[in-house]
Amino acid sequence: MFYLSRQTVSRHRSLYAGSFVALAVGVFLLGLAATATAATIAYRGPLADSITVTTLGGNDTAPTQVRVPTSAADTSGLQVVLSMVGTISGFITIFVIASTFAFAVASRRREIGLLRLVGATPRQVRRMILGEAFVVALVAALTGAVLAELATPLLLRKASYTELAPVKLEPASPWVPLAIAVGIGLLVAMLGARSAARRAGRVGPIDALREAALEPPRIGPVRIVFGLLFMAGSITLLTLIRPSTGEGVMPLAMFTPMLLVIALTLLAPLVVPWISRLWALPLTAWTRVSGSLARSNVVAAPRRSASLAAPILAISAVAGSMVLSLSFAADSAEATIRDSLRAPIVVTGDAKLDASLGTVDAGVPLQFVRIDQDSAELEDAEGIDPAIAARTRNLTPLSGDLDKLTGNTVAISKEMSSLEHYKIGDEVPVTFLDKTAAKLRIVAIVPDAFGVTPSFLIPLELAHKYAPTAEPERRFILPAPGVDVLGTVDSAVPAADWEAAQAEGVRKGNQFGLIMLLGPAAFYSAIAIANTLLMGSLQRRHEFITSRLLGATPAQIRRMVLWESSLVGAVALSLGTAITVTVGILIRHAMTSGMADVAVTVPWGVLLGIAGLCLTLAVGSALAPTTYILRRSQPSAAVE
Amino acid sequence: MTATAPTYPSVVPTEAPALLLDGITKTYRSKAGAVDALRGVTYHFARGSFTAVMGPSGSGKSTLLQCAAGLDQPTSGTVVLGGTKLNGLNEVTLTKLRREEMGFVFQAYNLLPSLTVHDNVALPLRLTGRRPRRADVHRVLEQVGLEGKAKRRPAELSGGQQQRVAIARALITRPSVFFADEPTGALDSGTSRQILGLLREATDRAGQTVVIVTHDPVAAAYAERVLFLSDGLLAGHLDRGTPSQIAAAMSDLER
Repeated sequence: MFYLSRQTVSRHRSLYAGSFVALAVGVFLLGLAATATAATIAYRGPLADSITVTTLGGNDTAPTQVRVPTSAADTSGLQVVLSMVGTISGFITIFVIASTFAFAVASRRREIGLLRLVGATPRQVRRMILGEAFVVALVAALTGAVLAELATPLLLRKASYTELAPVKLEPASPWVPLAIAVGIGLLVAMLGARSAARRAGRVGPIDALREAALEPPRIGPVRIVFGLLFMAGSITLLTLIRPSTGEGVMPLAMFTPMLLVIALTLLAPLVVPWISRLWALPLTAWTRVSGSLARSNVVAAPRRSASLAAPILAISAVAGSMVLSLSFAADSAEATIRDSLRAPIVVTGDAKLDASLGTVDAGVPLQFVRIDQDSAELEDAEGIDPAIAARTRNLTPLSGDLDKLTGNTVAISKEMSSLEHYKIGDEVPVTFLDKTAAKLRIVAIVPDAFGVTPSFLIPLELAHKYAPTAEPERRFILPAPGVDVLGTVDSAVPAADWEAAQAEGVRKGNQFGLIMLLGPAAFYSAIAIANTLLMGSLQRRHEFITSRLLGATPAQIRRMVLWESSLVGAVALSLGTAITVTVGILIRHAMTSGMADVAVTVPWGVLLGIAGLCLTLAVGSALAPTTYILRRSQPSAAVE
Repeated sequence: MTATAPTYPSVVPTEAPALLLDGITKTYRSKAGAVDALRGVTYHFARGSFTAVMGPSGSGKSTLLQCAAGLDQPTSGTVVLGGTKLNGLNEVTLTKLRREEMGFVFQAYNLLPSLTVHDNVALPLRLTGRRPRRADVHRVLEQVGLEGKAKRRPAELSGGQQQRVAIARALITRPSVFFADEPTGALDSGTSRQILGLLREATDRAGQTVVIVTHDPVAAAYAERVLFLSDGLLAGHLDRGTPSQIAAAMSDLER
């Protein structure tokens, strides 16, 4: 059957062009993520800028030597982003491939029936479809890999010396990463093609004798069961997005929408007709015939409509909830900064400050390597004078006593204590950057104050001892009565301004991450949306010609296609919105519980932009081929 | 023409019949209610016979053909093809039987557009896992008068030529029974004669059995017996009728 696969692929080039492009782009992104990750792994920073420590061991883990890079030459940020880019690309690839192959099979029902008629067994048909998938996937995956290899130096040049990887990255050997990308691409393609092949196997020989009949409207029980399972799983994860989950809510907010998308896509043939009917109500009222025709087409072919809606749903839900979650995270960070700072004035820069100005909280930032049972990590810390800092910031201990912060002691944030299960009185082994090892006893646990105070606070004299060159980066001032600090010190700003700048920094950082994460996925989804709708319209030549024969004007057909694609887009976007809103509300509640007056920043521009782009792409890529077909076919062609 | 009779003797009842229909009924159920397409058809198609099935639209001709060829399951009754009972066979066995024993020719030419004429004809052999010999393909193409067109694709051929490719494809496995549903429906009369002549040849020269469904009296006149079907029942038959006799019988039936 492989011989037949090769023949049919070349015949149905337009049908498979979509799958080819989709998979090539998918493997390109995967390959790029893989080669870049290989480059970060291969990167060896200068040895001088690292500290080697021995982990504690215990709990079945032996102590091991760990090299912790201490300069900023750390590429782990880039690695995290790349792995997420890879995950999202792989996720969208499965979707696109599954829907393009389902399409290819649905539109070739008659031809498959004919094969069955002349004696092909269901198994042979399945093998043929899988063979076709393999031919397309192999060529596409190799193309994607070659493109990835060509683009790797470019990406590495762009990624070098950025926040995520402040070093010079060189391409590593591409063979292993590219082989992995090609392998994943082939696997994903075959998985996507499997259900299509199975459906093709069920086509009977009698289908060759029928005019392209409407697809069977029912969806299989297996699909429903899996859809419900995914739905139940997503709901369970959604209930975990609550205040007590702590730092885990952000990954949950990013991961759960993907599961929800899978669930809804599986159940889409059931869900889509209902929502379509709802959206079609105004449409049928406004238009004379094109609206109701569009509605019938969407409702009567639920599978088709579902596969058209899938990529729009996927990207709108994933991107929407990510954008909204990060914006709410920034809101809560902003409120935290505001609540954590009590001093009214902040001095940035190294202006000389007179003692007569008032109380100056000049904390010294430093770093040390914190040693754990099985790992060691570079941590940010600050040396403070607890008597002063307790007045300029919100450091009222949740437990313990800040006055005891003298000698080899440390105060830690609530988040750090819950993350590492530290209690008052525990001793934290650390190694300072001058390679001195010390044990710091925990004397207090203070509220989280991300952006104002790091997770570890040590006595000022300890900081001066182990980091003699460290200078304060910002100083918090409680002015003495009658002193005009803002007027006398150039770099002094009101606390509100400084807080706003800090929050802006958080938003900027989020934006950078978003572009890195969503950029490739959005690009890919755009291709996928255009792809499925383009294919969908190209398959309808016969139907358009018949409608023309019945007296429909080209304008009427175009309007019908316009409404149809808008309807599918609207259905997908309303599901995407539902997911985004649910995740948004949950994460907002989780992040702001216990805080008062948290601003609500909904990035309307970005969200509406995503929706608008999806809709424009959907309508445009459905209309373009329709116009092309209509121009090229007169009604007389129906008699052919 | 006589009124409905339960059975019709085969023209040559000396051997076991090539195809036996026994009490075939077929009921289609839909939301609108049940429709009886066939209401008990019993008939023996003799080996080497050429039989035409005629009847008004909706009389059940195509359903009869589809049930006889195992493409559709009858609601009740049995179909025996060359000694094998088709009822209850699984899809794979049925498929294998279909590709060994049956040949199909339909109104729409049903060729795979991606394959050349040669590959279309060789397809049934390839599906059985045999490597088709070039000479075999050449022989059947010659038989249908398409030698030299082996490398063309279906789109490059006329309707009559495409239909002859379909016949060549049916011939290559040397099936015992040919099923043809309106094989000349889309062809002009000259081309129709060629196609029917080829089917006639299959019975005369190779002793293959041919069953065609048609509404064209000229096509039906190629058969030695015409069966008339009306409302899902056999309504009569006519042996060695001329086109005008057949047309007269048809208009009687439609009255």
